[in-house]
Amino acid sequence: MRRRTLLVSGLGAAGALVLGWAALPPRDRVGGLDSLPEEAGAIGLNGWIKIADDGVVLLAMNRSEMGQGTHTALAMLVAEELDVALARVRLVPAGHDRLYGNVAMFVGNLPFHPGETEPGRQTNVARSGQWVVAKVARELGINATGGSSSVVDAWDVLRLAAATARARLVGAASIAWKLPVGELTVTEGVVGHASGAQAHYGELARMAAATPPGDVLLKPRAQWSLIGTAAPRIDLPAKVDGTARFGTDVRLPGMLFAAIRHCPMLGGSAGAVDVAPALALPGVERVVRLGPYAGSTAALAVVGQTWWHAQRGAQAIRVEWQQRPAGPLDSAAIVASLEREARAADAAGAGFTFFSRGEAPDDARSAGAVPLRQVEQLYRAPYLAHAPMEPINCTARVAGGQVEVWAPTQVPGLARDIAAQVAGVPVEAVTVHVTYLGCGFGRRLDVDFVGQAVRIAQETGGRPVQLVWSREEDIGHDFYRPAGAALLRATLGADGLPLTLAITSAGDAITPRWMERGIPYLTGPVDTPDKTASEGLYDQSYAIPYQRIRHVATKSGVPVGYWRSVGHSHNAFFSEAFIDELAHAAGQDPLAYRLAMLQGVPRHRAVLELVAERAGWPGHGEARRPLPAGRARGVALHESFGSVVAQVVEASIENGRPRVHRVVCAADVGTVVNPGIVAQQMESAVIFALSAALYGRIDIAGGVVRQSNFPNYPVVRLGESPLIETHLVPSERAPGGVGEIGTPPLAPALANALFALTGKRLRELPLQL
Amino acid sequence: MEIDVNGALRALPEALADPAMPLLYALRDLLGLTGTKFGCGVSSCGACTVHVDGVAVRSCVLPLAAITGKRVVTIEGLAPGGGRLHPVQQAWLDHQVPQCGYCQSGVLMAAAALLAKNRNPSDAEIDAAIGNVCRCGTYPRMRDAIRAAAN
Repeated sequence: MRRRTLLVSGLGAAGALVLGWAALPPRDRVGGLDSLPEEAGAIGLNGWIKIADDGVVLLAMNRSEMGQGTHTALAMLVAEELDVALARVRLVPAGHDRLYGNVAMFVGNLPFHPGETEPGRQTNVARSGQWVVAKVARELGINATGGSSSVVDAWDVLRLAAATARARLVGAASIAWKLPVGELTVTEGVVGHASGAQAHYGELARMAAATPPGDVLLKPRAQWSLIGTAAPRIDLPAKVDGTARFGTDVRLPGMLFAAIRHCPMLGGSAGAVDVAPALALPGVERVVRLGPYAGSTAALAVVGQTWWHAQRGAQAIRVEWQQRPAGPLDSAAIVASLEREARAADAAGAGFTFFSRGEAPDDARSAGAVPLRQVEQLYRAPYLAHAPMEPINCTARVAGGQVEVWAPTQVPGLARDIAAQVAGVPVEAVTVHVTYLGCGFGRRLDVDFVGQAVRIAQETGGRPVQLVWSREEDIGHDFYRPAGAALLRATLGADGLPLTLAITSAGDAITPRWMERGIPYLTGPVDTPDKTASEGLYDQSYAIPYQRIRHVATKSGVPVGYWRSVGHSHNAFFSEAFIDELAHAAGQDPLAYRLAMLQGVPRHRAVLELVAERAGWPGHGEARRPLPAGRARGVALHESFGSVVAQVVEASIENGRPRVHRVVCAADVGTVVNPGIVAQQMESAVIFALSAALYGRIDIAGGVVRQSNFPNYPVVRLGESPLIETHLVPSERAPGGVGEIGTPPLAPALANALFALTGKRLRELPLQL
Repeated sequence: MEIDVNGALRALPEALADPAMPLLYALRDLLGLTGTKFGCGVSSCGACTVHVDGVAVRSCVLPLAAITGKRVVTIEGLAPGGGRLHPVQQAWLDHQVPQCGYCQSGVLMAAAALLAKNRNPSDAEIDAAIGNVCRCGTYPRMRDAIRAAAN
């Protein structure tokens, strides 16, 4: 199927809807006065902002904090527009209204090339497509924290909500004092006038709720005092004294604990079970059989007085595990088949075309000239586990037809849905409390563990129960980053630059699988092409005249999910290492080679030039940053989630293994809300990527995952971590994503540095010399 | 069974306090001191680090039987009190170290123990003492904060 056909037919099918909707005003996302009803003296001014009687601003926080700083960044937007100190913004839970759904994340998943969606140069198809999806997303109101979208999604909405609230408050003062709005100022939440009249927000809130906001203007950039500053994160004080409450820290009167043993074979089940050895142990209460929930493998759960008692009980059960009905999963066989599929599709011109440019050259050879050089290589990447620091967990209570869930979740609405479904109650009978998340990385976009916890809670006589997976259960039963293979082929012109680029990749589509698990009512009988499978390949900004970028979506049977930076996590390695191969084939400097291909994309050029200058790349100021002997540099440039990042890795070989000394990052993330947080996320994404690049692999044989805990699923620790620098290109465009963008370029930049050091080209992850 | 935690003798419920139970679960599930975290259960990640008689120890594999008569300090007892923070906690805030924060209790306890023994650790000594896993990648800032707290 061709991409254009998909888009046009999709839009056509919605044609009648589009015409109908076009006549309706866009549904606003600020919400009305009754969106947040008055409660304990705090008065709601719209769906996001309440004012307490002491003037503290209560912000309905819909996004989950998993370390990416979203609570602070969103609070800053509100503090700025309301002219209050950041410390005077307090977060309250947002609830499940569709108002709090994520629009930007779903729009971002459309398969458009960045060139088609660039502001000021949008194609009609892109504009219509984004509009339709934004409308659908707004109507569905699915709340998800992911896709590096929290600030992108909140940027206009929260500023408008806060500015609207401010306008009501100032308007109320204006009416009360009979003074023109234009003469009133706001300082730290106090409305004042030269005459001396003043009142703080708490004193004005009730009147403000009855005052129309009038014309609302967002604060001009030149007046920002908070946005753009490295304001200290509001969640950190509780994270240095042990008081921050994660999902596993929930403690309730009468609470029990549950441990779990899934069938070791993914997709398998429990046959004959002997629970007597478990029940004989002290502190063990009961055993609960668990079927699959939202994609999980069947399991046995043991309830105990402490988690240790429950876990001991779980280990003591004797079970005959049964293999997955469709047969055992084998990762080596799957990866080999991906390679075959990619090659076969390439030869046949098959697969879904995510991007195509230029007419197919009949003959990649100019008349009478030297035959054009062709480079063709196959790249591979393995399955990866998330291994979030906080193990998988959920606390649930089922009593009196009501369900209460405490979960570190990225999708509170989907958590509510599965809790209601498992307990057999309407969603209105379910309350979801979102705790801090000890890492997410996309793992907690799934709600399998919520379904499991609720099922267990149905067996504990109304007592709350906290299900915690061991690390072994986590690594062995993840929704893995899919394995991938890609065949890349380019022909080089006389100047050494690529004239043609053909890529055929193969791997599982994540989105249809995730939707089947979490949003089954939205899934159709046929998978629609998943853009995440090809992102990082089809969306390049290099001026390569002829491109055919295709993907073959497979269904391996391995549970797959979103892993930090998703398709970019392996595709950037494939594409940026391959571009480096082309540069070396052409005998050119890899950075200059890339610059030569960046035409009409000033953002990309600026980012690459900035990293070159800061890293001291040859020709860009290397005298300032001489490279110690035995080290080499590698570069990679990658756009993802609306931002552009370039990295230069400085590496050496120590004891036969790669050692990374420094990573210089340059990025254009659009308007920077908090540069401190951006730097944190760059460091985070780099180290996350480094663990994957050096060590990450999940091997499955007989359906059983071989890796189980940190000793055999190693990750980078302090002793191996490089110095990391972050340099930001100033920008006034709307913010782009930040949380995931530092991950894709790291593996290729490192592989490119290793090539410079050793002359050995690595085309598979993890990188092994 | 009683254990000395953060300067106070705490009684553990008789029926549940098993001498084989690792200290981590006694702290979290019996005493409600949830600041110390479970990360791996095999003493590999360090999220469970506490002090036992001043020494940094991974509590997920340390049975209650092994700490009779010893003094345990957890993250909840690290600050000197009176609203003040331990120097590593202050340095952690000054350098904006934590991201998700889940591993940080264990790292802070390891860092505090290091500085109590070694007023001015070298980079190599810091690397050796802080073997904790941080999946958010806060390592560069940990190093800076430890150096700052040492000064």
